[in-house]
Amino acid sequence: MYVPGNNPGMVKDAHIYGADSLMFDLEDSVSLNEKDSARFLVYNALKSIDYEGTERVVRINGLDTPFGMEDLEAIVRAQPDIIRLPKTECAQDVIDVEKEIERIESEAGIPVGKTKIMAAVESAIGVMNAYEIATASERLMGIAIGAEDYVTNLKTTRSLDGIELLAGRSHVLLAARAAGIYAFDTVFSDVNNEEGFINEVKLIKQLGFDGKSVINPRQITPVHQIYTPSQKEIDKSVRVIRAAKDAKKKGSGVVSLDGKMVDKPIIERAQRALMLAEASGIRVSEGGNDID
Amino acid sequence: MEYLSLKKEIIDNKDFKKLREIEQFLLKQGLRLDKNIEYTIAVYDEDKIVATGSFENSILKCIAVDKNYRGMRISNKIISELVAEEYVRGNNHLFIYTKPDNYNTFGDMGFYKVAQVPGEVILLENDPCAVGRFVENLKKKRVDGKVVSAIVMNCNPFTLGHEYLIEKASKESDIVHVFIVWENKSVFPSNIRYELARNGIRHLNNVILHKGKDYVISSATFPSYFIKRRDKVTRIQALLDIEIFTKYIVPALGITRRYIGEEPFCDVTAIYNNVMKEVLPLHGIEIVEIPRFSKKREIVSASKVRELIRERKFSQVKELVPDSTYSFLCSKKAIPIIDKIQNK
Amino acid sequence: MKIKKAAIAGTFESSDITVSIQPNSENEVSIRLKSSVEKQFGDQIKKVILDTLKELDVKSASVGVNDKGALDCVIKARVETAVMRAAEETKFNWKVRN
Repeated sequence: MYVPGNNPGMVKDAHIYGADSLMFDLEDSVSLNEKDSARFLVYNALKSIDYEGTERVVRINGLDTPFGMEDLEAIVRAQPDIIRLPKTECAQDVIDVEKEIERIESEAGIPVGKTKIMAAVESAIGVMNAYEIATASERLMGIAIGAEDYVTNLKTTRSLDGIELLAGRSHVLLAARAAGIYAFDTVFSDVNNEEGFINEVKLIKQLGFDGKSVINPRQITPVHQIYTPSQKEIDKSVRVIRAAKDAKKKGSGVVSLDGKMVDKPIIERAQRALMLAEASGIRVSEGGNDID
Repeated sequence: MEYLSLKKEIIDNKDFKKLREIEQFLLKQGLRLDKNIEYTIAVYDEDKIVATGSFENSILKCIAVDKNYRGMRISNKIISELVAEEYVRGNNHLFIYTKPDNYNTFGDMGFYKVAQVPGEVILLENDPCAVGRFVENLKKKRVDGKVVSAIVMNCNPFTLGHEYLIEKASKESDIVHVFIVWENKSVFPSNIRYELARNGIRHLNNVILHKGKDYVISSATFPSYFIKRRDKVTRIQALLDIEIFTKYIVPALGITRRYIGEEPFCDVTAIYNNVMKEVLPLHGIEIVEIPRFSKKREIVSASKVRELIRERKFSQVKELVPDSTYSFLCSKKAIPIIDKIQNK
Repeated sequence: MKIKKAAIAGTFESSDITVSIQPNSENEVSIRLKSSVEKQFGDQIKKVILDTLKELDVKSASVGVNDKGALDCVIKARVETAVMRAAEETKFNWKVRN
């Protein structure tokens, strides 16, 4: 969930709505005159407020702006989980930021490598370079598509069915999977159009995205509901995991269920389903999800 | 509550279409859009204006929130933006003129009452100690006497008419305090008007000159956007100005009398004078109205002098102003001012 | 840091605080506070402000504060922003701050 970085009311309570990840924004939601205010506010908030385990991401301004470097110097030291880079166009953008993060981590006595990076691609060139961006750094844990700027760059406009985002979404998703990292979809800005939002979430889930950016707490529940596996899926997944654990106990290299062989992709899918179930607050009867 | 999808926008001074929309919005709230605006912001819900606020120099004005959107603290957002932008522009002593009902709203945001005309207008400023400091500074210039007089003048520029009035007061009083109205709408800037007055009274040893600054209200800067009846604007402004005068200036300096010149031409000044004649005696202040100084049966006025400057009749100007003013008009410093008058 | 001009940070919105700072001719730090919770928290608010000013090595300032229920970390953030603006500085010493 996006949290405008210069708004103390939102910043201090961001974690109460149940979002899986909070994105404190120093970039587009903060006016030029208030970039400094937002930076100090997010820095101080990260250092003092207990966000109760919710993932904390900070979207900084690009290093090509007058604000980016100062943002990094401050925010890395506040130790968020992830730093989100806006408008990433090529691997070098990631490498440049990584270099600075590394330097700041050493200076500040933070374990080098602790701060992760998420890259947002918001232009045609960014999408074209998605794979090289996705593999540019060990710290890069996810890649997102930012539709507003992307669509303008393509010289078209956003529509409800999102056909103009098809190539961008697919490409980013492919790059993420090929690189073994997460893929995140863009925001849906019409907060009052619940049906439109739900349709979009269903679409991107079907495409394979791991999650979606939301701008309003009202959008959180629909995403959870759509991403939550059905009880049938959960039950099946529990049985798959149990079978895999049994096989390991017996020292067998082959996992079988209902007389059929269960291979790695199926086990991974089951693990993912249970993970999603837990993220949605559903308690899974099979304690522990790790097999290896 | 926080996550409303309202959009905030800065309105460009040249965006006439948007300004007209704002004007329409204000009319619906029973307010007008002031002609003199430097900066405006508006809050939109989809494409509909729901709130707006503006300022000019240090005065915040034309602030309104649609009644269906009240209670959402949108006015807090508007004032925050206006104040932040004012500071960026180097203005940190800010004023608001508004209806007395709005005191609580603005009081909540660090604005304090300076003076009010019940039911009509209240003047607020964002520094609770400023008017106190103003009074302390005035007290430093206090000279006690039986007759302590005050005159308020614009002096745009300082003429023989001004000199005449001050000389009369000087002869009839122990001390005379002259206040120069401070605003930069007059073609002669405030500090120049002050200098010309200072030079013009040099020969009088019981006259003290003051810069009107923030607490002598000029009709040029008085915002009237919230006053329904336009014909009442001047009267209300006069009442407020006199309220400040009697509340702060009179006690600080021990004023017992105020001198005014008869006003045959300017409606605004005439109304002002009438209000003073009505109100000042109630506060124990004598009001003395002096006929205007004339030369060759024509009243010497600053507007006449400016007219002659525009017509380039400098020899005639010389007859109507003291030497100090005339030598200024002949100096280099006066060139931009004379240009302005002649090109209007 | 030296306060060179008047500056303000923060807004009048709920959970926020406005901090306005000006040079002080008396060469000391003075704070004028307005808060709806002045009785309970007035001293705490002033303490956070004074501590922050001390950290920033501000020895002379005239501070006007309008609190709308801000947490300590918000107060600190707004003071830091206002001081930087009043001192006309753009690069903050994050190394030392941390």
